[in-house]
Amino acid sequence: MQRRATINAAQDLLLDAHEICKSFAQTRALSDASLRLRAGATHALLGANGAGKSTLSRVISGHIRRDGGEISYRGRPLAARSPREALDAGIAMVMQETSLAPDLSVLENIFLPELRKPGRLSRTAMRRRASEILADLGQEHSLSLDAEAGDLSAAQRQLVEIAKALVVNASLIIFDEPTASLSPSEVERLFDVITRLKQADCAIVFVSHRLEEVFVVSDEITVMREGRTVAASRPTSSLNQTELVRLMVGRDIGTIYASAAIRSASRGPPVLSVSHLSAPPTVRDVSFDLHRGEVLGLGGLVGAGRSETVETLFGLRARAGGEVWLDGRPFAPRGPAQAIRAGVGFVAEDRRRQSIAPDLSVRENLLLGHLGAHRGFGLGYSRLDEKVRTLMARLELPAERLADSNLLNFSGGMQQKIVIARWLLLEPKVLILDEPTKGVDIGTRASIYAVLRDIAATGAAILVISSEFEELLGLADRVVVMSDGASIADAPSTVLNEEKLTLLAAPRSSMERNRRLLQELASEQDGAAFWAILDAERVFCLNAATVNAKADPGLKAGDAPHFDETPLGLALRACAPDFVTDPRSGLRCLLVDVKSHRGHELGTIGLVIDADQPTPPATSIRAAIIERFRGTV
Amino acid sequence: MSPPTIVSVREERPRRRWSVRSAPLELRMLGLALVIAIALSLLSPYFLKTNNLLNLLDQSVVVGIVAIGMTFVILIGGIDLSVGSLAGLTGVVLGLSLHQFPIPVAVAFAVLAGAGIGVVSGFLIAYFDLAAFVITLGVMAIGRSLAYIFSGQTSISDIPAGLNDLVYTTVLGVQTNVLTLLALYALAWLYLTFTKGGRTIYAVGSNREAARIAGLNVLFYSVLPYVVSGALSAVAATLMSAQILSIDPLAGTGLELDAIAAVVIGGASLYGGRGTIIGTLIGVFIMVMIRNGLNLLGVSPFWQGSAIGAIIIAAVLAERLLSPRSRR
Repeated sequence: MQRRATINAAQDLLLDAHEICKSFAQTRALSDASLRLRAGATHALLGANGAGKSTLSRVISGHIRRDGGEISYRGRPLAARSPREALDAGIAMVMQETSLAPDLSVLENIFLPELRKPGRLSRTAMRRRASEILADLGQEHSLSLDAEAGDLSAAQRQLVEIAKALVVNASLIIFDEPTASLSPSEVERLFDVITRLKQADCAIVFVSHRLEEVFVVSDEITVMREGRTVAASRPTSSLNQTELVRLMVGRDIGTIYASAAIRSASRGPPVLSVSHLSAPPTVRDVSFDLHRGEVLGLGGLVGAGRSETVETLFGLRARAGGEVWLDGRPFAPRGPAQAIRAGVGFVAEDRRRQSIAPDLSVRENLLLGHLGAHRGFGLGYSRLDEKVRTLMARLELPAERLADSNLLNFSGGMQQKIVIARWLLLEPKVLILDEPTKGVDIGTRASIYAVLRDIAATGAAILVISSEFEELLGLADRVVVMSDGASIADAPSTVLNEEKLTLLAAPRSSMERNRRLLQELASEQDGAAFWAILDAERVFCLNAATVNAKADPGLKAGDAPHFDETPLGLALRACAPDFVTDPRSGLRCLLVDVKSHRGHELGTIGLVIDADQPTPPATSIRAAIIERFRGTV
Repeated sequence: MSPPTIVSVREERPRRRWSVRSAPLELRMLGLALVIAIALSLLSPYFLKTNNLLNLLDQSVVVGIVAIGMTFVILIGGIDLSVGSLAGLTGVVLGLSLHQFPIPVAVAFAVLAGAGIGVVSGFLIAYFDLAAFVITLGVMAIGRSLAYIFSGQTSISDIPAGLNDLVYTTVLGVQTNVLTLLALYALAWLYLTFTKGGRTIYAVGSNREAARIAGLNVLFYSVLPYVVSGALSAVAATLMSAQILSIDPLAGTGLELDAIAAVVIGGASLYGGRGTIIGTLIGVFIMVMIRNGLNLLGVSPFWQGSAIGAIIIAAVLAERLLSPRSRR
């Protein structure tokens, strides 16, 4: 009866999935998931890690088979048993973890789904079509069709993945976190493409963790939590960010980060000091200091080289250059064993692949780090029993589960706690954690944060990598931002926010054009130019170019000086539409706010000229800057 | 600083009801061995005779000792196809050494030769990340060819009769070769269960990357199993030669397959990380019992291969179907 009543509303319904269930071994990934999609609408699918968004997407696109529930597509039941069947029905998916064939060219990868079709392929037609799509994505100049996919950066791989879905003319495209490794301007281009697809009556599913993007791009929102749909097809305009977060986590999120203790001004010498570390191809120039009792965040986009940096520090990758000191002594471990004995612990990113030995019991998994550090013929397990019990209690884990034979039967959060406990047992001076809350439920996250805070308070130094900027800002005292293998900013998390982090983290390859424009601007006016974000009292430099040394404002990418620490203090404070001369330095500075063509704030462009030059006309330069920088950052 | 709110996490405990699935692997295999033993004793009146039982133990010695090394290798996710030809080669080394040296020195030479070759193949496999199958296949071919060359293509028979004592001395009525077998199994069990090295072998086999990140010496413990395997091939060759006082360059042909079969029947996973030394011993007994039983029943030796093969396949299939970790 109820179905009959909804039939009218279902006129333009393209896909209706309901009561979908799916279990993997002991874990229930989906228990009562539903999703209704309309043609010509963009639908955001939201949820915390492990809520089942990806699983549901993959069920619809035929990558995995559902255990139960029904999907109707264009009014008929859909049972896609493979991605190929889904593609034939017009359903394409842009995967979060890219599925490109590394040895094939970009062109071949884009047309991979076509290769199964019988008959000859016209290479010319393929090239033409692929070039069109890359042009749509704004990549016609930066991405060669003949490049091998394996040589591409993370952002480029993601773009090829998107092109692959566009080429099949699908009527339903699922984007699973397509923006995780893209720069803001690439994201803008993608949103343009999505808008065009929508106008062509395509249905879009957009999975993202970045709520601000969701509000920009989506028409409707479905929220999932613990495998079920908790809010179905709500109009985006009817929701705000706080409500969304509450729907996603089931309660207010404000309390989960343990607030950092008030830090003393003098931090003493660093425990770990990294200077110009390089390990090609992904790590090029990384520097930072880590102090006792500090939680330092390492931020950046996927593929920026953060994991590779910490793997190099831990001795898992060969170092090509740079210096590292641990407690003031040179530190160059040739393998993890040396790093561990020197007092460094490392919780790796991929739990299943890098941390868990599934054939060992939970207890032995917990003691694996001890086994590595232990010298001697025996095991030395029993001496640690008391310590293990204390640790289990501290991590709120039931001690009797130690005897369990398979750690993989535990939830993601409990697995992660055991892995963290493995290192806490060794009482490391420096603990490195790579995406410590990936696939960890929100409750366990809170207790992991609390434990990290605790051990920092006892004097350990903690280095955390996280792709979730919110987590990074909540957890870390200080954040070092990496982009394309280099550390480009180092700032207290209190002066940062998600927007600044996003702009700072943009891949340097995407910044090339911006740098060139700054360079042009600086040489035209024989001065210096910079791109920055200004807040109440600090200038956040994102990029800078200097032609005339006399006009050099002393800013470089990643700097975040107080206004008065720059020679432009007055100008930065004035926010005037004209050139402002700083009385102390004599430098004259024009500030122009730039926006993308979608109206997004993209920071401020500054032009600096020295005292000897005549002041150029501000109005025409302003207009030229706005025109030139539109959508290029 | 107030502690953050913490939500308790529900965790579904796996049920603790006893079933064939939840029983330890060794118990399941022991059950299978008993079933076979009972079946054979019903089928043949000779099976349970003391003489036949002692015979069974005697027949288990060579394959049993080689299977210990094979267990080590399979536990780290490798395979050693060279054990048979190494038994042949180290036998020849023993025979030639006996012409010039006393028995203990000659035996030491043979064992060192086996271990040395194990170091080479293990290092090639672990350091250069080469396929164990291919490297040990190569060593297998080289080993057999060297055995022919060193022996001059004939069997060596002028062996001091004193070598016989290695097998036929009895302690409390049990032959020394059987005692050696049991002592080696006890040592291997203690090593794999109670030492850092033993647990490291399990960890490396279960997840090499995790073991490396935990600071374990993955390279050393990836080479060690091949050394153990090579050395134990030589021990097996010594006992083989001692029994018949003759050394044939062809000795040990096909031994690798019997050893692998025993380990697999004993429940080890060829992917590494799973398997026990006691399981292997039971696997050896199952193999030997079936051979022996088929002989007693007068089944043509040509059928024995089919029977052994079917049992290997059935054992692996049963393990996959019963294993709680199977991803069906």
